[in-house]
Amino acid sequence: MAPYDLIGTVGVTGSYLIYLAIGFTFGFILESSGFGDARRLAGQFYFRELAVVKVMFTAIVVAMILIFWSTALGLLDYHEVWVAPTYLWPGILGGVLMGVGFILGGYCPGTSLVSVATLKIDGMFFLLGLIAGVIFFGESVSFITNFWNSGYFGHFTLPELMQLETGVVVVLVVCLALAMFLGFGWLRRAIYGKTK
Amino acid sequence: MKQLPDLRVLSALTLLFAAGGLAWHGQPSLDEKWELLAPELESRLLTREVYIDPAELLDLINDDYVHLVIYDVRSEPYWNEFRLVDSEHMPLDRMLGERDRLLALPENAVVVVVSNDEMLASKGWKRLMVIARPNAYILEGGLNHWLNVYGIPEEEVDAHGKASLSKPDGTLRHRFKLALGDRHASSRPDEHRIPDRAYTSRVRLMKKVTKAGGCD
Repeated sequence: MAPYDLIGTVGVTGSYLIYLAIGFTFGFILESSGFGDARRLAGQFYFRELAVVKVMFTAIVVAMILIFWSTALGLLDYHEVWVAPTYLWPGILGGVLMGVGFILGGYCPGTSLVSVATLKIDGMFFLLGLIAGVIFFGESVSFITNFWNSGYFGHFTLPELMQLETGVVVVLVVCLALAMFLGFGWLRRAIYGKTK
Repeated sequence: MKQLPDLRVLSALTLLFAAGGLAWHGQPSLDEKWELLAPELESRLLTREVYIDPAELLDLINDDYVHLVIYDVRSEPYWNEFRLVDSEHMPLDRMLGERDRLLALPENAVVVVVSNDEMLASKGWKRLMVIARPNAYILEGGLNHWLNVYGIPEEEVDAHGKASLSKPDGTLRHRFKLALGDRHASSRPDEHRIPDRAYTSRVRLMKKVTKAGGCD
């Protein structure tokens, strides 16, 4: 049953080669989907360009369905899958900061690496800023330890929050994603007209 | 020319159908999940490699290096009557709530599940494997065996000595005059005042693989 012990199965070198292949494929698909273009990425915040939102949410929804169908069929042990613990307040603040940075800079951390791979200068400067931010955060986090660890809920997922069966939550998330696609499309047409 | 259906509509319907099917099918319960894991893990029970002798548990209790967690999965009356010192009352239905803690245990952690004999503890071990797969063991023969080895007959109702382990029925076959919990002398025997007991060591410390993930 997955997840498998990759290092135990194919060794350290083999596992690194697999990670490399997955990373290359992931980056290639991001670049092919337009995730290396800051104007296209930032356009989603103005409802001008919806491909990024659609690609990302489609990936989320498809991955979610595959994970929970695999669990339901006994192919995957969900409890062995890493789920980041919830730290509510720093999570909210971090999300806001990242959203602001995304609008201002045109990239998120992953897509800035994609843009650097295609030698985009704005992506390189964004990455330099990102590295500076990481260093600054690492050096200053000890001053905000209490906030950094606040709102801890541990492994806390939507089914636990909503007290619903996992499958029902999956249906709701799929409906939410589809409604969002429709709603964003309607907004884009309302703001920019059909020809835009 | 016949018009092809919109691919976007087809994709959306496929996602909805897959999600609806998942809601209808449901996720495996903890018991069903054990059935799925059993081919991989049940051999450890059958070969008894996870059953540890009372003397090994006592050594673990006295080992300052080991981060020991003792889960007592019995019902509350038994827990009140007698328990090991530092053990935690953990009925099976509460075990799922321990997942975060179990996943955060350090490399030198050892979890030992105890019950009156081995039946309930074995169920507890299976549940632990389902929810977090910690480095877990079961007290061989349960607390009945523990008390046979380290019991203080004077504290028992009729000072009957060793209890039979041949027909385990889930009950505590040592009856105490008072329900003292972990205040019995045999809850933590003095290692300097008991005879040495030979055993085959079965506990191995695990190398912990740090898990992480995410994408942004």
